[in-house]
Amino acid sequence: MKAIKAKYAFHGVHVPDKKALASGKPIENAPEQDVLNISLSQCLGKPSTPCVAVGDRVKQGQIIAEAGGFIGAKIHAPVSGTVKSVTGSIILENDKLYETDYLPPLENPTPDEIKQRVGAAGIVGMGGAGFPTFVKLNPQDKVDTLVLNGAECEPYLTCDHRIMIEKTNEIAEGIALLKKALGVENVFIGIEANKPDAIEAFEAFDFIQPVVLKKQYPVGSEKHLIYACTGRKVAPGKLPASAGCIVQNVATCLAIYEAVKFGKPLIERVLTVSGGAVKEAKNYLVKIGTPLSALLQDNLTEDAEKIVCGGPMTGVALKDLDKTVTKTTGGLVAMTVKETNVEQPTACLSCGKCADVCPMNLMPMNTEFYTDAGDYEMAAKKGGVMNCIECGACAYVCPARRPLVQSIRKAKAEIRKGGNK
Amino acid sequence: MKQLVVSTPPHLKTSRTTKHIMIDVCVALLPAAIMGVVLFGLNALYVVLLSVASAVLAEYIYALIANKVWKNVSYFGSFWKQFDFTSVVTGLLLAMVIPASVPLYYPVLGSIFAIVVVKMLFGGTGKNVVNPAIAGRIFLFISFAAMTAYPIAKDFGLISVIPPVENDVTTGATPLTGILAGSTVKFTQGMLLNWLFGFGMGGCIGEVCKIGLLLGYVYLVVRKVIKFWQPLLYIAVCGLMTVALNGFDFTYFLPSILTGGLLLGAIFMATDYVTSPKSDLGNVIYYVALGLITAGLRQATGIEVVSFAIMLMNLVVPLIDRFVPCVPFGTKREKKAKEAKA
Repeated sequence: MKAIKAKYAFHGVHVPDKKALASGKPIENAPEQDVLNISLSQCLGKPSTPCVAVGDRVKQGQIIAEAGGFIGAKIHAPVSGTVKSVTGSIILENDKLYETDYLPPLENPTPDEIKQRVGAAGIVGMGGAGFPTFVKLNPQDKVDTLVLNGAECEPYLTCDHRIMIEKTNEIAEGIALLKKALGVENVFIGIEANKPDAIEAFEAFDFIQPVVLKKQYPVGSEKHLIYACTGRKVAPGKLPASAGCIVQNVATCLAIYEAVKFGKPLIERVLTVSGGAVKEAKNYLVKIGTPLSALLQDNLTEDAEKIVCGGPMTGVALKDLDKTVTKTTGGLVAMTVKETNVEQPTACLSCGKCADVCPMNLMPMNTEFYTDAGDYEMAAKKGGVMNCIECGACAYVCPARRPLVQSIRKAKAEIRKGGNK
Repeated sequence: MKQLVVSTPPHLKTSRTTKHIMIDVCVALLPAAIMGVVLFGLNALYVVLLSVASAVLAEYIYALIANKVWKNVSYFGSFWKQFDFTSVVTGLLLAMVIPASVPLYYPVLGSIFAIVVVKMLFGGTGKNVVNPAIAGRIFLFISFAAMTAYPIAKDFGLISVIPPVENDVTTGATPLTGILAGSTVKFTQGMLLNWLFGFGMGGCIGEVCKIGLLLGYVYLVVRKVIKFWQPLLYIAVCGLMTVALNGFDFTYFLPSILTGGLLLGAIFMATDYVTSPKSDLGNVIYYVALGLITAGLRQATGIEVVSFAIMLMNLVVPLIDRFVPCVPFGTKREKKAKEAKA
């Protein structure tokens, strides 16, 4: 279908996207690893429980850990090999034979079969939050719209962009499967205006409505994506299903397609390695459990000041490169001092710029003011802190460099603690 | 690999800091200040320079005393590193609202009062309750009678040959005072141009050249320092209120906004971040109230009261901020749904 422009606008901030670094790089296979270290916390919810023992030989795609609860996901062996340890994380020695033990492929699956398969393949939301997709596909409310998230509004990251132009047909088939599983009528795919090639690619399918999103951060936030595409607003504290919408990331669609068509569980993902402190930006297809150091070690320049796991606006700054790739790792961004603009905070000017850019229409300066004063009740009332999506737009735009997200997190933690008493 | 920095997100920040914003304000003030010097002569230049210099020096000396480092010569380096140009803005703004003919110790006194008493004693940048420049002006205004003797700007006569105000004193009232006192000024197109350029006008250094102020306004809006509607709202409400108070005589509209310090106050002083509300709704309340108070007080007192009106509203700002509620995205829908159910 012909792409349409998003009709609905909300507050946000224009962040230089710096995607040119990696957007032209085709997806390549990550270097082969001898040992994979698979974390048991691959998604939101409880960590998974290992179901293999030390010394077991597993095949690629075999279940190695069961979901830890209703909100949780199965984990499968990314390669064939021998289990070396199961405490804390599963350490797997790669025998480099790549013997597969996939699920049986499904021909013409029923909606229930698709949902079951998504659960069996351990698929989680691959945009970053990592909500188990199986849970999301069984909404409490009636859903009539599927919104695909191809916004990728985080600067530097290009992994979704690459799969959208390299694997357009596969994603479209994944979308068709999702549409069937949910029984929805409308399918939108929201893509930010800085990816015209991806928008054009999805115009070829007549059951998908591409929506050109304004170049604005955070247009890829779930609630704002729904608003931009459909004009529906998700009420504070409610799930998107309450507005009749389900949001899925394009990378998740690809995983669903592969799980149904080939029976391949979620054992690898595409991630971007980028930033001013890498020698060459890359888009890797990487096995879950690959150590981050293997992806960055030879590629780093001397002046790397900060390495962020995920996007630079919401990602986690790493202390070292000991962590490994999980199902939700969308990128690794190595930044120089110049890029991060690390400076000491100065006094708040009450300029109100943080409130102007807040996509949730909150007042971060009030949150910070009352949090510093220890009055968390007022922080919730006057700052609206409990509705914050922690996108970081306020702290990005603050001319006084106030650590607003830090205050917001502190206030949230304190309020939750108080609520549990 | 060297030690990595760990912090909370976002790891990207805009390159525009407080310092950049303050430098932008200074740049925006330059056209009006330069025109002030052109129109009023060298004395105006001395006032501007002295005002800025004493403001910066007052902040430095205050920092020396407050940090107990007065014997440490190298402290200037760290002072300069965290210097955010707010005192330059204060000094420049203060000079703009002083008549050019005053003795030269006025701007020094005013700057010291503005910086030390109004700004630093309240906690420095971001903590002052009222705009320091306005407080400095009011301090001088109520202390010295010379503050109300406005020199007449040079008339280059390029635009109009009609003398704008029909009186024969060289110093005295601004045209505004004449209008407020009920003198019937015949309004002509030539006069409008004279008013815009400030030729032959009486007034303070920075307020006579409206074109310079408007240039500054455009610059501030383009640089996103202020929102375009903020000064406009103030000016429009003030103009309309004056019209209403004079029996809906629309000939009062342009004179009321193009004379006196309304433009300067609306563009540069009322929009001061620290002393204006944080939210858009709060700002609407603030600017409408400012417009009403300015027009009302002008009518009642017959003198220029923009600075008093702004100071009054500055004091109300914390109350406005407390009153304005925080309405998260999506709340409206919930309310509508509730109404639909009921």
